[in-house]
Amino acid sequence: MNVEVNGPRIMFRIPILDGIPVTETVVNMWIIMAAIVLACIWLTHGLKVKPTSKKQIVVETLVGMAVGFVESTMGKKFRHWTPYITALFSLSIISSLSSLVGMRPPTADLSVTLAWALLTFVLIQGMKFKTNGFLGYFKSFTEPVVFITPINIVGEIATPISMSFRHFGNIGAGMVITSLVYGALGALSSLVLGAIPNSFIASIPIFQLGLPAFLSIYFDLLTSFLQAYIFCMLTMVYVSNASEE
Amino acid sequence: MKEFMDFVTIDVWTMIFTWGNLLILFLLVKKFLFKPVNQMLEQRAKQIEEDSQGAAKARTEAEAMREEYERQLSEARETAGEIIQSANHKATLRSEEILNEAQTKAGEMLKKADAQIAKERQKAMNEMKDDISDLALTAARQILGREINSADHERLIEEFIENAGEASWQNQ
Repeated sequence: MNVEVNGPRIMFRIPILDGIPVTETVVNMWIIMAAIVLACIWLTHGLKVKPTSKKQIVVETLVGMAVGFVESTMGKKFRHWTPYITALFSLSIISSLSSLVGMRPPTADLSVTLAWALLTFVLIQGMKFKTNGFLGYFKSFTEPVVFITPINIVGEIATPISMSFRHFGNIGAGMVITSLVYGALGALSSLVLGAIPNSFIASIPIFQLGLPAFLSIYFDLLTSFLQAYIFCMLTMVYVSNASEE
Repeated sequence: MKEFMDFVTIDVWTMIFTWGNLLILFLLVKKFLFKPVNQMLEQRAKQIEEDSQGAAKARTEAEAMREEYERQLSEARETAGEIIQSANHKATLRSEEILNEAQTKAGEMLKKADAQIAKERQKAMNEMKDDISDLALTAARQILGREINSADHERLIEEFIENAGEASWQNQ
């Protein structure tokens, strides 16, 4: 049994500087983005004031859900954040789900989740700055008591780290486990079918059929949705908390 | 040959691409999903507003028209009532007039007839008186066989008529 779990493959290098590496992660993300944008264009094509198609009801429901999700978590004044949260959520969930069609999920790359988490971190700090002002921003670290300041700072820095590792860890681990299961089932197949002297039949990984699909319900469907939801939810909660005086 | 990154790695270029990608996707989602849907929703809200305003206007107009019609109807009823009343009044007056006239005429005619009858009777009585006196005279002359004094028998006849026949004559 030989199972190899690699990081993202470098597809090509853009020949500037030392050659910018473009990984599988980035290429897959482009494909996913294109799919999302095409879906948006298709869904919003031919919208009517009086809906005549099921498609329109679907898109209205989706947009309503997104707006409701943001408004219920962040409050009505953050309604304009909906497109950002929607972009983040859709990119996260479709990235994670892309493993179902055999792609390497971009969210199984720490660089991606860390980039998103750092963006959230910047948004949190920016929002605090905007709300409290320059002095108020620094003063907010000394609250409720001065000696707690180091813990506050660590808490702020821990936010993006925990967010990014949680997301990456779940999807990456799911990918590893799936690979291991496939490897193990392939080994089991060759062990059982190895007795048959026909080399073609012996090479059919028969046990890989079926069982991984059930594991996939947890590792792909549930985890993908959950991680996208948690990531967006934390982003919204932190940002809206930061906007409170 | 295939090059791979490490499984757990922080690649700055991937991060930069990720930021760029998220920004692009944010803008595209905003443009292609939220803008058209929100536009449609705004349009819908506008249309509903217009529709309800139009309905309210139509209702007020209908109400005004209804009131107008009711007013006109009651006016028409009133006028009709007046017309009927005045017609009745006129008819009553006219019929009374006609009756009075007829009564007057009838009275006159009766009077005239009475007068005529009285005159006729007087005339007939006078004629009869003459006839009777002639007859009596003739009879008496034959019975007596002689001519009596004209003045005498005139007086006699007068007496006879007065005594013997007046009541029974007139009452027959």
